[in-house]
Amino acid sequence: MEANHQTAGGTETVSVSFLLNGEHIQLNVSPVMRAVDLIRGELDQTGTKISCGIGRCGACSILVNGKLAVSCLLLAYQLEGASVITIEGLSDQDEVHPIQKAFLEEGGFQCGYCTPGMVMAAKCLLDSNPEPDRQAIQEALSGNLCRCTGYGGIIRSVQCASSK
Amino acid sequence: MAKKIRPDGKEKVTGRLKYLTDLAFSNMLYGKILRSPYPHARILSISTDKARQLPGVQAVITHKDVPGLNGFGIVTPDQPVLCKDIVRYVGDAVAAVAADSVETATRALELIHVQYAPLPVLDSPEKALEEGAPLLHPNGNVLHRAGFQKGDIESEFAKCAAIVEETYHVPRQLHAYMETEGGVIVPEKDGSLTVYVGTQHGFKDRFQLARILGMPEEHIRVVSSPMGGSFGGKDELNIQPYGALLALSTGKPVKIHQTRQESIRSSIKRHPMKITMKTGIDQDGRLRAHQTTIVADTGAYATLGPAILDFAVEHTSGPYMIPAVDTKGISVFTNNGVSGEFRGFGGNQVTFALEGQIDRLAAAIGMDSVEMRRLNIRREHDLGPLGQQIAETNGALDVLQSAAAVYAEKKPSSQNQDRWKRTGTGMAITMHGGGLGFGRMDPAGGRLSLKEDGKIEISFGFEEAGQGILAVIETITTEQLGCAKEDISIMIGDTSLVPSSGSTTASRGTSMVWHSLQRLKKPFLQKLLTRAARKTGTKEGQLSIGPGGIWENGECRLSFRELASEQAPIVISTQFDFPVSPDPIDSAHFLYTYSGVVAQVEVDLLTGRINVTELHQSLSAGPVVNEMGYLGQIEGGGVMALGYTLMEDVIMADGHYVTENLDSYLIPGIKDVPFNLQVKAVESLPAEDDYGPRGVGEIGTIAVAPAIANAIYDAVGLRVSQLPVKPETVLKSTEERGVLHGSQSSNSGGN
Repeated sequence: MEANHQTAGGTETVSVSFLLNGEHIQLNVSPVMRAVDLIRGELDQTGTKISCGIGRCGACSILVNGKLAVSCLLLAYQLEGASVITIEGLSDQDEVHPIQKAFLEEGGFQCGYCTPGMVMAAKCLLDSNPEPDRQAIQEALSGNLCRCTGYGGIIRSVQCASSK
Repeated sequence: MAKKIRPDGKEKVTGRLKYLTDLAFSNMLYGKILRSPYPHARILSISTDKARQLPGVQAVITHKDVPGLNGFGIVTPDQPVLCKDIVRYVGDAVAAVAADSVETATRALELIHVQYAPLPVLDSPEKALEEGAPLLHPNGNVLHRAGFQKGDIESEFAKCAAIVEETYHVPRQLHAYMETEGGVIVPEKDGSLTVYVGTQHGFKDRFQLARILGMPEEHIRVVSSPMGGSFGGKDELNIQPYGALLALSTGKPVKIHQTRQESIRSSIKRHPMKITMKTGIDQDGRLRAHQTTIVADTGAYATLGPAILDFAVEHTSGPYMIPAVDTKGISVFTNNGVSGEFRGFGGNQVTFALEGQIDRLAAAIGMDSVEMRRLNIRREHDLGPLGQQIAETNGALDVLQSAAAVYAEKKPSSQNQDRWKRTGTGMAITMHGGGLGFGRMDPAGGRLSLKEDGKIEISFGFEEAGQGILAVIETITTEQLGCAKEDISIMIGDTSLVPSSGSTTASRGTSMVWHSLQRLKKPFLQKLLTRAARKTGTKEGQLSIGPGGIWENGECRLSFRELASEQAPIVISTQFDFPVSPDPIDSAHFLYTYSGVVAQVEVDLLTGRINVTELHQSLSAGPVVNEMGYLGQIEGGGVMALGYTLMEDVIMADGHYVTENLDSYLIPGIKDVPFNLQVKAVESLPAEDDYGPRGVGEIGTIAVAPAIANAIYDAVGLRVSQLPVKPETVLKSTEERGVLHGSQSSNSGGN
């Protein structure tokens, strides 16, 4: 972490720099700002969602240095030096990621609000275990809640993505 | 085969879709709502001076700042927008703040000083009904009474070989939509207001907001889709009035997005009910008498409490023909939050009780429960549960047969390899009315246009909460018109652009889209072909609509763009009502769907934990419009009901929420559900049926709880009468009966 700063209003800020989906980010933030608010607010990357705010639902899941993390329980300054991947980093305008394609084709979403976090959790799983069994799928997605699908479509999506 | 991908799919899986809580505008302020710390209290004074002085605060509003009606509620506006004298639950709003940051708005709430004089808390319907209880509303503590009687109940009971009486308790369920309530309200330069907040009925919100703001409806635009889930929970107004008042008072866009704690504190929930059923059966296995009392805890305000009780009363005897029925229901005001609209709408509660009765009665006379259901089930030409004519289908028997086949296959394999575990199988069936019912305004409608750019625009006043109405509209429109999905554009969720279609509730969306297309198709295609004939100089009879445009002899002669060019748009609209019974019986439904559910559970005798290992749902709801959407509704509904059965209860103590977030209110996670959910659609309808596909948004949630409950009985002999079924209850029951020590048979069902 770099030196602390004082803003005009007298509020203390800290500097943070990290890679967001490959792009270098450097800015001053409040030391109590959550990573999710930095991503959704300051950086306007609203694919990452906020739902419970206490790390229970996984809607705000992101990858920090390749590991799955709930961004509502991370402070923004904790991203210092990290490589962060959010849902926006998985696809470009034309081409969707194979996991996203599987979610599309197998009905892995309905309202879509848990989907970015769910896709990140699935990516984290498949990156380390390309052919997960039932137990591995249940374990990897157990931190992500979905209220719409009953998980049937999500399980089929992950199975479909894993066989590709 | 190419899979049918939802029109909103790509934006959702890539995270690009902007939900209304994702929106940001320049100069936007952040709103926060101050809610009562007491479940029941008199307000003595409200002081906002200190909050107003906090730098960054731009507006603080109280009841004095409501220009129109200080009340909301879809039918009866009995809930104050901002309370003046009395607070009746811990979600009641007293003041609201707009500031330049969430943090400042939050800090400002702490600086608002409200003096309260606490009043006695009515934390149960029983307390509220006691003589001398304080009255929560001018007309007392009874929101609504409903009932239904037919036949001579006493003489029918006298003919019974067995009578079962049981009292069932069902919990307060949280919708737990992943996106909490929120959005942005924007004051426009011309003095109008744009409300970007999700809801299940944009026009109804506009109507309610106009009344509160003292503004003409035409000056309010409600952009209401998409939503991150609703399940009935966003049908009533939530944060809209506060955002609107703050936006008008500051002249700036105001964003409110409730935290999960704020959401749980203020939102409506499923009605807790206490249901006592006394049901009698004769020696031949025929149900003869069915007497029910329902006591619903409706909380502090009305919203749709009366209609929910009416619905529960109607569905009390389910798909069974019973000569004598006596049902009495009462919905009671308390200080326990607010109960209201929730997927299933009162049907879930009474079906749990009814199907519990059916299994108990079958056991009481030693009859196979499937056979008993078959003996009493309604047939195609039978009248509906309130004696009304209904759209005739054989759905009830169809789903029973389908479920019975699964049940017969699963039932014998009830032995568990693990000596500390028991497996059990249970089934339940139900029927569920769609639409709002007889005597309720239930208009629908839609509009089909050929726009100047050559797009065929189909528009409805329906909302996309996640259920997949966009996919339904795309499928039905392209199938009915014969065009391709690339030819159409879908418009929903914006009162300035769409026609009124009624609410996106009551499983009515899919059904009303289909009915609209039936009405729109012919005149629209006629106009298209007439114009095409003129443009091409070909006879109308030789032309048809196909992908891309107008076809003749297997070739596309004229694209839709060419057809549209340099001419006025072709616009066809329709307005009609949801079909109702020809019999004028208040609240009675006409279009029903049916489900048969088989559940298999594994009960751990050491921990009491219940694991649902299989869930099979058979449905009769007419033809499937969109396979993936249908499957998703039933699987998702089934798991939501699994949570209702085994996990979910918004616990309140003395009118305060004990469960405040998803760490104490647990909804099913991926480990809590069967890995392979099974859904079977029985699509057949009578040849003369012209009501098309029925909606399936609710039916998947109705009969799951009793199927699991009956499976628990099969596994360990516990008769479930209270939801959710807790491990402690299982352990207490199995210990009392010595199941663990094998001193008694653990498997009382079927032997």
